[in-house]
Amino acid sequence: MAYTGACACGAVTAKIAAAAAIAVRQCWCRQCQQLAGGTHSTNAMFKTDDVTINGALAAHSYTAASGNTLTQSFCAACGTPVMAQVSARPQFRTMRVGFITPPHDLIPQMVIWTDEAPQWAVFPEDLERHAKQPPPPPVTPPAPKAS
Amino acid sequence: MAHPGGCLCGQIRFTIDAEPQGARMCWCRDCQRIASGSPTVNVLFDEESVHYTGEMTKLTLIADSGNTVERGFCPTCGAQMYSRTVSPAGMPMRVRAGTLDDPALMAPQYHIWTDSAPSWAALDPALPRYHKGPGSALVEE
Repeated sequence: MAYTGACACGAVTAKIAAAAAIAVRQCWCRQCQQLAGGTHSTNAMFKTDDVTINGALAAHSYTAASGNTLTQSFCAACGTPVMAQVSARPQFRTMRVGFITPPHDLIPQMVIWTDEAPQWAVFPEDLERHAKQPPPPPVTPPAPKAS
Repeated sequence: MAHPGGCLCGQIRFTIDAEPQGARMCWCRDCQRIASGSPTVNVLFDEESVHYTGEMTKLTLIADSGNTVERGFCPTCGAQMYSRTVSPAGMPMRVRAGTLDDPALMAPQYHIWTDSAPSWAALDPALPRYHKGPGSALVEE
């Protein structure tokens, strides 16, 4: 399926011309908790070339625990988190799932940075867990389903 | 004891000179947008006790509850800081737990707006769930 996105005020929209996400993850790193209102962020990774964004984004960069520069973008008008990108992997955009318009098929497959989660955090039992950073994603996205 | 906190980039800092009145997770669609796809975790305080420094962008909109709600975020890093109900008056302010220097200050006690949670949401089975806002019908197992 293709995906669309919109922020809370409608100033930023997106189209994602991909049949499926490369990966969908929940991230409990401390920075994501600060950005995401106290829980993990929920992120769907797509190829940069497949993502078209319209509207004014604001961006903030910081050095992540990996040593990479992480730039996260949000709607300048309403603050809705839109995406993140990592300096080491410019070919990918990590879209915030809350920004993607439902209904969609973006279901988390993995929980990462569980070491930094507060003790009240609940992790889905059936998801792969990583205490810190997971291995890099596959270079090639999954093949589209036959129609 | 005062409770300090701030945004991701440090431009906004705050202190809260009161103890929390409660904590809850909110799955309303607006909060999922704010929280990158997850619920917000909100620690409730008397509004008078929360003191922010730094530049805050404020957005006022009508929430799913029908209430007029103001939300604050950092214009530099985008961190979501709080929400407060402008109308009707008298509700506690919701400080986003992730902005507290101690995000584990108070564990969430219940879930609200679970009717709009995604199918994959992992809800702590020990916590009460409300279909909509606080005080709405409880979800029966």
